[in-house]
Amino acid sequence: MISEIEKSNEVAGCTSCAKTPQYQQDFPIEWEGDHYVSRREMVKFLTLGSFLLALANWATAIAKGMIRKDSSAVVRLGPASDLAQNGAMLFRYPTPQDPCIAVRTQEGALVAYSQVCTHLSCAVVYDKSADQLVCPCHRGVFSVDRGAPVAGPPTRPLAKVKIEQRGDHIFATGLEV
Amino acid sequence: MSTRRQGTTLFSAILILVATTVVVQLWLLSFSMEALLRHQFKSLAPAAIASTVLFFINGGLLRFVFRFDREVQRNTEG
Repeated sequence: MISEIEKSNEVAGCTSCAKTPQYQQDFPIEWEGDHYVSRREMVKFLTLGSFLLALANWATAIAKGMIRKDSSAVVRLGPASDLAQNGAMLFRYPTPQDPCIAVRTQEGALVAYSQVCTHLSCAVVYDKSADQLVCPCHRGVFSVDRGAPVAGPPTRPLAKVKIEQRGDHIFATGLEV
Repeated sequence: MSTRRQGTTLFSAILILVATTVVVQLWLLSFSMEALLRHQFKSLAPAAIASTVLFFINGGLLRFVFRFDREVQRNTEG
């Protein structure tokens, strides 16, 4: 095979490129020029990306207006007897599309949070034995006293629902987002 | 150093600069998303402005590339 290349080179009168394959002689690659063009194309592409990123950043800034504000609606959740010590109760607040969880802790304190995990929006549940709120999807764990993430992938705390007991009934009085 | 080689070096430098600013923009976007989800709205507008400034820097560099090309083409033809 090599001898054929050498023969063809000799026929073509090329003495310096004795071991250059035929395909490289037929289609010579100008490396410098090749890089020159691709870099330019890359700059154009990155500038387009830069424009899109700036646009996305403005979309983020504008989207803050669409984020739900704190709610202050008062909603009766049910009789206090439904929520035993070291127990949990599910409810919806402030709209029927917003699942929440109320917990009476081992110390007897009444707390409530949005049930939507801040990682990937699975519903968190109360783990009685550990006295923690646990997301079963990716093993995210939140403290029951503040709703802060203590283990797993979540990095943001759960939205807190203001809750209070009036007489024999429990009321949700606001949402702290 | 030939003009072509000078151009190659120049475009390498511009490419690195543009790539760096795009990475900074990516970081700004992820920071903004995180701030939005945390309901910390104060930093959203400054991040968007900073991202826009970086885009204009990139646009300016791209404009320089086009002008450089035009000039090289004019010199070659002339």
